[in-house]
Amino acid sequence: MAEAITSAPPPVRRRSVGDLLARDLRALPIVIGLVVLWIFFATQSDVFLTARNLSNLLVQSTVVGIMALGIMFVLLVKEIDLSVAAINGVTSVLMAKLIVEAGVSPWIAVPVAILIGAFIGSLSARWVTFVGVPSFVVTLGLGLALNGLQLILLPATARYSLNGTGLEQIALINIGGIWAWVVLAIGILCFAGLVLSEVASRSRAGLETAMMRAVVLPIAAATVFGVVVVSILAAHKGIPLVVLIFGILLGLGGYILKQTQFGLYLYAVGNNDEAARRAGVKVHRIKMAAFAIAGGVAALAGVIAASRTLGVGVFSGGGVGGGTLLLESIAAAVIGGVSLFGGRGSIHAALLGALVIGTVSNGLNLMGVENEIRLIVTGLLLVLAVSIDKLIEKATGQQSF
Amino acid sequence: MTDQSAARERHVHAPEAVPLISMRNIHKKFGSLHALRGASIDVRAGEVVALVGDNGAGKSTMVKVMAGVHMATSGEYEFEGKPVRITSPTDANELGIQTVYQDLALCSNLDAVQNLFLGRELTGSGLFGRRIRRAECEVRAREVLQRMRLGNLSLTRPVGAMSGGQRQNIAIARSILWTPKVVILDEPTAALSHSAAEQVADLIRTLADQGLGIVVVSHDIHNFVVNATDRIEVMRLGANAASFRTGDVTGEQVVNAMVGGNEGVNLAG
Repeated sequence: MAEAITSAPPPVRRRSVGDLLARDLRALPIVIGLVVLWIFFATQSDVFLTARNLSNLLVQSTVVGIMALGIMFVLLVKEIDLSVAAINGVTSVLMAKLIVEAGVSPWIAVPVAILIGAFIGSLSARWVTFVGVPSFVVTLGLGLALNGLQLILLPATARYSLNGTGLEQIALINIGGIWAWVVLAIGILCFAGLVLSEVASRSRAGLETAMMRAVVLPIAAATVFGVVVVSILAAHKGIPLVVLIFGILLGLGGYILKQTQFGLYLYAVGNNDEAARRAGVKVHRIKMAAFAIAGGVAALAGVIAASRTLGVGVFSGGGVGGGTLLLESIAAAVIGGVSLFGGRGSIHAALLGALVIGTVSNGLNLMGVENEIRLIVTGLLLVLAVSIDKLIEKATGQQSF
Repeated sequence: MTDQSAARERHVHAPEAVPLISMRNIHKKFGSLHALRGASIDVRAGEVVALVGDNGAGKSTMVKVMAGVHMATSGEYEFEGKPVRITSPTDANELGIQTVYQDLALCSNLDAVQNLFLGRELTGSGLFGRRIRRAECEVRAREVLQRMRLGNLSLTRPVGAMSGGQRQNIAIARSILWTPKVVILDEPTAALSHSAAEQVADLIRTLADQGLGIVVVSHDIHNFVVNATDRIEVMRLGANAASFRTGDVTGEQVVNAMVGGNEGVNLAG
């Protein structure tokens, strides 16, 4: 009898709504929220749903989105980095100084800025893991110190203009016409290739794959999503380079988190670092890599911000204290579903969270609402998003993962 | 009598077979604290040994010395008849000694396969670090779970969504994934319901029948220890107080030996 039970294949359990909400459809509430916001703003402003405005919205969301993507790696390992905005500011000022005062080519200055950002991040990780000071304190202090450094690096005019250095092109280049579709096709092919290679390795190992759920639906969804986005962008000027950069980072990030050993270790360390350590995971190295990624990505976001504002100054990196840039970056990741308690969150969190924040800002702007109101709405949305998450957790009785 | 219980009898009645682990006259001092005062234990293949004792009796220290977490201050440690020097848990793992700690050390956000292979993933080269060969891990995990008669466990649910018994089973499965010879279990039934504890006891028996030596530290004398083990070693004040063959004793006798009410009882010989 026992043999009969154990040799039977695992029963196919019908997955409950709670199961689905807790796992596969975790992003559903935030997507619904986004759609509601869009419908609301569409009724308030005729301009909102135009290709031009939606393109702008996407471009406006990239800096916060990229920052959120970087910070997500740190949140996953149950740490926080409050210095990312300051890293963004100080590295972009340093880059501008190299270009303007030392005549260094942007092709060199930009990678240098990113490497320095990653290096600063790895330094705070060292301090956190070896000295044992909480990351909140280390990065808070480091952020203030970097703010000071940023002010010292600036010239007496408090501003470096990057107009005419070639760097402004990053924000100006659009990939239009047929090339926009070529870019999309390459993206979908990469994604499909990854999905299909997984199927191939499963069938080699003698495992079945749920073709509909694991292959057809994801590829179809990615294609539809991509076609809609590119259609909108192509109707305006094409795919802005900064949006493409964000898209590539999202793809890379998703691959790293879902497919690599490093990605798995991020989740393991964030959930139970003692278990990970006992299993032989080099916890301090994983944390250091997470902080380095956040720092490097923040520096890249700084480059893009500098390109969009045609220069750097006191305002770079959100200004002293990080300003709204720091808070919005963390808020975007959390709204998108990244847990502040580690070990939970998928890559689309950065995109969805940044879109929510970008939409509120863009829509209220079109309605002619003051900036003060924008802050209030964004703040309340953050609390609302996390509350909905908690309510789902309570209602389904499932911890969210 | 079934083949399985015959095999068990043979193991129990074959003291001439070389034990997997033989620890003799182990002393362990932590500064002025003398935690172990000449304790001894044998672990044979196919045998479940319970290590019981009151709090502070030294049983935890004993298994930690066995697992390489602590080094004995003095005493002999033989593995398969050869003297060994185990200075770290890694040394013990390499010999084939695995430990399942009471806290299980699982990541609740990862699924069974990811937990089983954590730190030892089968990987291939890829961009940005090593890519996990998920399909092969899954096949291997399923084999191991089926051998342990745990074929019904979901491989893809996060273990945080599983019951305590299932989690305990996954932790045990992880320890035997790399085919050890001895598994040490620290309080495997402490946080479990009665039925879940019985499932874990069944699993432990399955593993012993497959030829593993099992050491169980447990406080669950009346249910688990006197029903699901082969031999009971009672420790008190850092030394062996009594040794019983399971089946010959009641829970009361074991408890008496633990608290020192019945000196010199040694029914197992």
